[in-house]
Amino acid sequence: MPSTLEKIRILGENSKYDICASTASSRTKKYPNLFGNSINRVGATATAGICHSYTPDGRCMSLFKALYTNKCIYSCKYCFIHSCKQRISFTPEEYARTFMKLYSMNVVEGIFITSGICRSADDTTEDLLDVVRLLRFKYHFQGYIHFKCLPGASQHLLKEAITLSDRISVNTEASNKEYLAEIAEQKDFENDIIMRQRWLKQIRVKHNVEILKIMKDMKQDNQLEFQEKMIKDKRQDGYKKFRWDGAPILNSGQTTQFVVGAAENETDWDLLKRIDWQYKEVDLRRAYFSSFIPIKGSPLANKKAESMERENRLYQTDWLLRIYHYKLNEIKDILTEEGNLPQGDPKIHFAQHNFRDHGLTDPNQASYKELIRVPGIGPISAKRIINLRAQKFEFKSREDLKSIGVVLKRADPYLKINGRNQTTLLNFCN
Amino acid sequence: MTNKKSDCQDPLEVIGRAKGYSRKELIMNLPRHSKFAFNLIQQVEKIPEEFLRNSGSPMAKKFIRIMREISLESYRAMQFTRTEINNRGVLYGVVSLKHRVMDRVLHYFHGRWPQCVICLYNEYNGQTGIINEKGTIRELKLPLKEVVEKMSENRPDITYFEDIKFSGEKLFKTLYNSQNIIERENPRYFKKMIPDYCYKLPGMKNGVEKRNKSRNKKLNEFL
Repeated sequence: MPSTLEKIRILGENSKYDICASTASSRTKKYPNLFGNSINRVGATATAGICHSYTPDGRCMSLFKALYTNKCIYSCKYCFIHSCKQRISFTPEEYARTFMKLYSMNVVEGIFITSGICRSADDTTEDLLDVVRLLRFKYHFQGYIHFKCLPGASQHLLKEAITLSDRISVNTEASNKEYLAEIAEQKDFENDIIMRQRWLKQIRVKHNVEILKIMKDMKQDNQLEFQEKMIKDKRQDGYKKFRWDGAPILNSGQTTQFVVGAAENETDWDLLKRIDWQYKEVDLRRAYFSSFIPIKGSPLANKKAESMERENRLYQTDWLLRIYHYKLNEIKDILTEEGNLPQGDPKIHFAQHNFRDHGLTDPNQASYKELIRVPGIGPISAKRIINLRAQKFEFKSREDLKSIGVVLKRADPYLKINGRNQTTLLNFCN
Repeated sequence: MTNKKSDCQDPLEVIGRAKGYSRKELIMNLPRHSKFAFNLIQQVEKIPEEFLRNSGSPMAKKFIRIMREISLESYRAMQFTRTEINNRGVLYGVVSLKHRVMDRVLHYFHGRWPQCVICLYNEYNGQTGIINEKGTIRELKLPLKEVVEKMSENRPDITYFEDIKFSGEKLFKTLYNSQNIIERENPRYFKKMIPDYCYKLPGMKNGVEKRNKSRNKKLNEFL
């Protein structure tokens, strides 16, 4: 029987490719007794998570991340399962206790509960829920729990998971059923994955709206009406208006992960379409992308590893969709013929495409939406420009912009200040 | 030390590279710096708040640098202080705080373990900071072992994690090593994220410990 240390070594290594984890806080300051009212409570999530160590690739390691078991009924082609020599499992008590020990050492901020699927999705989910119940009710842990929803898990189990976790994720892995069938033929895209994402959204919204209604009746607090709006409101493009909506449960929402480069011919456009759909339809909080790395012994062992640059470009584009409110059709304009993002920063490509047609941006006149289209100007600098203009301030030189945080190295080619713009070589050509 | 946006529009809210700090925040937090001199407060009180909060002015740049040193030290302590808990509900660890930020670090641990007594030994000045269940803080010029024993008296015996037979350090090392993805190694980024003193430890690149040797001490060497 392997020791706990041996289990951590093996099951920790097996879980490392699942990068769907962050130090997100769940902002539960409003509801401090969300998971019970014990005086023996441990842990807090009101402030953003702190990173307690960094792996050699620079990733923040803030969560206890080890599979509960590496026994799995599926054999997805990209998965480490094929290289596993030893199939082992924790027990719920062992898993919970190990985490609490690490938490007491201040080396982790929370826990990322994930697993292979042993016997069936429901059986394994029950075991994972045992872990969560132990953490919440035996150890009175009020800190961050990220629960991995297994494909095919039943709705009633998800309901319980939602009420006890801060964040839940369902790995989508591929952009549609054809590509998923190519790399994980045993999984049903619509029923095992998309349906679970829809359930998570429905259960969360319904529960939170009901709780707020009860609290509203008790307290008659206008803040709660505003909070209800935050949970339900959408932007014009269909994305959630408020990322952090202060909901009573599952405040950190749901996330997902894609394996990039495993499926043949899957393009960046396919992935972006899917995440855009998920942001609108299932209130996805954010998407993660994991570059495909061939695992020895797996059916895709001879396939070339996907480049980190592609993963990075997808993250940059995801940011443009979520934070900068770019529309999906705008991104389509800069794609290559194959349907992939071009090399380099997508925002710069977009700016080159956009400013060719619309001319340069004058910071003394441009709207917020126009300002954030300029490379080197983000939401904060753009707001600062708008605020200064409201105070009748006029930008007369580049140094004015530099002093408020604009990265001139990137922004210069797209700006026109006081009728003057950057001189390029083209100005001297006939 | 907060820089929160108030609910109402602050007429003095700086539009600048950094928001800067209000007079109140500066007066509250500048004394935490190890090289604090009272004339700094006098300067803070003299300078109009518009200039104080605009990091474009040389004086404000100096204040911001001082405030950042303070916040970085307390954040690093929250990140990298490793603690242990004994069977009497006393959580203890070692910090190295040049600036007067012990209370902030103690409050952080108190928020995570409100039912425990927290003891943090500051190697820099040889004092042990204590925070109890009620949030009361005091500092004693006593070694960690003595303070932990004293705090453990008259507290009930609660066995924590008794069946984890090996050391927590081994547990964490195993977990840490399991998370590394060799294909994603990025030494430059790694060096940027970890504190300088960690990078200079033996075993790391260019690793000969040049700084204070006590950095390498294990927690139980203080007990």
